Amino acid sequence: MSSESSKKRKPKVIRSDGAPAEGKRNRSDTEQEGKYYSEEAEVDLRDPGRDYELYKYTCQELQRLMAEIQDLKSRGGKDVAVEIEDRRIQSCVHFMTLKKLNRLAHIRLKKGRDQTHEAKQKVDAYHLQLQNLLYEVMHLQKEITKCLEFKSKHEEIDLVSLEEFYKEAPSDISKAEVTMGDPHQQTLARLDWELEQRKRLAEKYRECLSNKEKILKEIEVKKEYLSSLQPRLNSIMQASLPVQEYLFMPFDQAHKQYETARHLPPPLYVLFVQATAYGQACDKTLSVAIEGSVDEAKALFKPPEDSQDDESDSDAEEEQTTKRRRPTLGVQLDDKRKEMLKRHPLSVMLDLKCKDDSVLHLTFYYLMNLNIMTVKAKVTTATELITPISAGDLLSPDSVLSCLYPGDHGKKTPNPANQYQFDKVGILTLRDYVLDLGHPYLWVQKLGGLHFPKEQPQHTVIADHSLSASHMETTMKLLKTRVQSRLALHKQFASLEHGIVPVTSDCQYLFPAKVVSRLVKWVTIAHEDYLELHFTKDIVEAGLAEDTNLYYMALVERGTAKLQAAVVLNPGYSSIPPIFQLCLNWKGEKTNSNDDNIRAMESEVNVCYKELCGPRPSHQLLTNQLQRLCVLLDVYLETDSHDDSVEGPKEFPQEKMCLRLFRGPSRMKPFKYNHPQGFFSHR
Amino acid sequence: MERAVPHAVPLGQMEVFQALQRLHMTIFSQSVSPCGKFLAAGNNYGQIAVFSLSAALSSEAKEESKKPVVTFQAHDGPVYSMVSTDRHLLSAGDGEVKAWLWAEILKKGCKELWRRQPPYRTSLEVPEINALLLVPKENSLILAGGDCQLHTMDLETGAFTRALRGHTDYIHCLALRERSPEVLSGGEDGAVRLWDLRTAKEVQTIEVYKHEECSRPHNGRWIGCLATDSDWMVCGGGPALTLWHLRSSTPTTVFPVRAPQKRVTFYQDLVLTAAGNSCRVDVFTNLGYRAFSLSF
Repeated sequence: MSSESSKKRKPKVIRSDGAPAEGKRNRSDTEQEGKYYSEEAEVDLRDPGRDYELYKYTCQELQRLMAEIQDLKSRGGKDVAVEIEDRRIQSCVHFMTLKKLNRLAHIRLKKGRDQTHEAKQKVDAYHLQLQNLLYEVMHLQKEITKCLEFKSKHEEIDLVSLEEFYKEAPSDISKAEVTMGDPHQQTLARLDWELEQRKRLAEKYRECLSNKEKILKEIEVKKEYLSSLQPRLNSIMQASLPVQEYLFMPFDQAHKQYETARHLPPPLYVLFVQATAYGQACDKTLSVAIEGSVDEAKALFKPPEDSQDDESDSDAEEEQTTKRRRPTLGVQLDDKRKEMLKRHPLSVMLDLKCKDDSVLHLTFYYLMNLNIMTVKAKVTTATELITPISAGDLLSPDSVLSCLYPGDHGKKTPNPANQYQFDKVGILTLRDYVLDLGHPYLWVQKLGGLHFPKEQPQHTVIADHSLSASHMETTMKLLKTRVQSRLALHKQFASLEHGIVPVTSDCQYLFPAKVVSRLVKWVTIAHEDYLELHFTKDIVEAGLAEDTNLYYMALVERGTAKLQAAVVLNPGYSSIPPIFQLCLNWKGEKTNSNDDNIRAMESEVNVCYKELCGPRPSHQLLTNQLQRLCVLLDVYLETDSHDDSVEGPKEFPQEKMCLRLFRGPSRMKPFKYNHPQGFFSHR
Repeated sequence: MERAVPHAVPLGQMEVFQALQRLHMTIFSQSVSPCGKFLAAGNNYGQIAVFSLSAALSSEAKEESKKPVVTFQAHDGPVYSMVSTDRHLLSAGDGEVKAWLWAEILKKGCKELWRRQPPYRTSLEVPEINALLLVPKENSLILAGGDCQLHTMDLETGAFTRALRGHTDYIHCLALRERSPEVLSGGEDGAVRLWDLRTAKEVQTIEVYKHEECSRPHNGRWIGCLATDSDWMVCGGGPALTLWHLRSSTPTTVFPVRAPQKRVTFYQDLVLTAAGNSCRVDVFTNLGYRAFSLSF
């Protein structure tokens, strides 16, 4: 309704025109205050309830007017227009009222809002203030708790106890009179004391540190000094070598030996150690050395990869050779045998020097696969020996050490396990190889600490030092005795072959001054020949004629009488006596089986040998026995009872002084010589 | 192929010495214990060994049964003769006679009960005693040996009562002629002399070597063994073993045994002889049959 809007516009125009003018007026002219119209003030005066009633009434009037207008318009007519106009003017008034009311409402609303807003703002401000205050309170509370919880660092320090403090602290710090009462002062004082102490300790600490530095420096210096000593010592050692040699104290040499000894197999090592120890402790004539190639010994223990490489190489080589020619079974077996009997590359040499400057050289080998030791022996003398024919076997390397201990002939391997190994490669016995490998005597095994018990065969026999040590001294002594007795025999044989029985002056008392029977022959005979003799059966049956013994034949003659003596020489001479068996050819053949006196003569030489031993080391036994044999033959021949039926004088006149010619039921001749009276009697 | 020589143990010095001793051993005398179970034997080293006959002769006899039960050193010289009384073993050798108790003899460390030495004339050498003879009726012992005399010793008192002289050389053997009583002695001088014990005089002399049937000059004239059976006598030695009739002093039988005889005994009309010179005592259960040997 444009008319209505224009109506509305009008008041607005008015209003708007009026307001700025009022405003201007407000500012420019304060006197005209009461002149302008303030709707806001009017609002405060009016009652909103009444306004609401007015609004309702107005709305009702409008509605009524509109309805009348409507009616009028619908009825039409002329008067209508006036009425309508009237009503229209009324409704315009009502519209004006409504507008006013609307304004008022707006103003009220605005006021209300403003008031609320204000109030709200106030409340907000208070709220804000409250929060601020609360916040501050909280903050303050925190601060308070903080303050309350605050631990001063001084409480973390462990102070000395009060009593100690009062005891130790000097009085100017402890200030007892003040601090006793005042805990604050007390704590202060204690802290002071603590500080004091700490300062002192810090001082000490610094001092100690500096000391330590000094000492460390000194140590460094000394270390340097010592390390510079080592090369000097070495040079001194080098320089002392000639002095060592001059003084016969080869320490360096010994050191080198010990180095080499590390590569020895265990039994040889045991032997080396024990022999060296024995030599140094008891026997200066024993010297020990190691021979052989150390490199080869080291090569035995090459790591497996290398050896596998070698194997593959050698396999390749072998393949090549097999293409050309297959090795025969015999050659293979031979190689296996050689492998089984292989010796360790290192060997131990022992040299035993005897009183007369003869030396026994012993070389000990170790057979690795058989786990036994062997020895080769050689005797050298100061002067060249002319070997008499019969003495061939005495000093031969093969037999000089035979039966050093009874029964130890060294022809069989002492390790029972070896037999199975031998069977595999077709070796019958070690005897065939002893010339090359050396003899596996039992005492050699014992010196190497190897013990092969017969009752409980062990899987591995380990070299034992105590076994070696317990046998060392006895064996060395036996070895020396053996060499010396053999050398003595050697000399004696040379004399015997010339028909002279060499009786030394200190044994002369055993025999009468005049001995007529003479030794005319002295030869060696073979074992088989001895067994074939008809007058040796008893000895053979008694088991005294072994193949390890040496056999000799002596011939003693006087006039027509010929006495044959078969001699069994045990390798253990002279502790084991030679055994004589006699056969006399004179007026028939007489042996111990048909003539008791022959038996008595044998007894005189075989059983009563201890009288004939002579001074120690009883090397004169054999020669004294032979001399006694000559004396016995003299007695026998001279005391022969004269046979009255035969004519002619006795062939041998009695020259020996005898008390009685016959004694006892067996009518023995007087074979016992009595010194110094010089007569013969019976035992 | 070499001849196998049997031996089990390697021979050390001790074993060799013992073997040699045994090889050169001579058993000179033996005597049976009064109970008959034991045999004592004496050898040339002066040792006496006692064997257990019952063990050795039993059916379960082993090697050890033939070894001595006990062996001890009885004399310094050879034990030339032994006899047994009913309680004692008397042994003699180098000039002394010793007595041992049979009851004690098996114990180790047995000591002699007593020892006596007859009064000898010579002092240079102690003569041996070759023969012992018990005279039960007189309870005396007759010793004879190197000093060419027969000595009688009373077993109760130990005193030497008589010395019978007559032999010109040492006496080998004695025999007792029970009935008379007479003692026969044979000696190195080749004569068998008969002595009367009551008169202590030589009654009869038989010079054996002078008789051609039995003399063997190459052996010598010595009489080694004697046995008598009152009327008869067997003697041998250098001359051949001969049986004599004593009354007539004539040789009746000459036994064809070659070797000089050492011991002879009459036993139930059999003559047992031994010419042993080994360490063994041969036990004969029958003439000429040697059953086994006891070894020292």
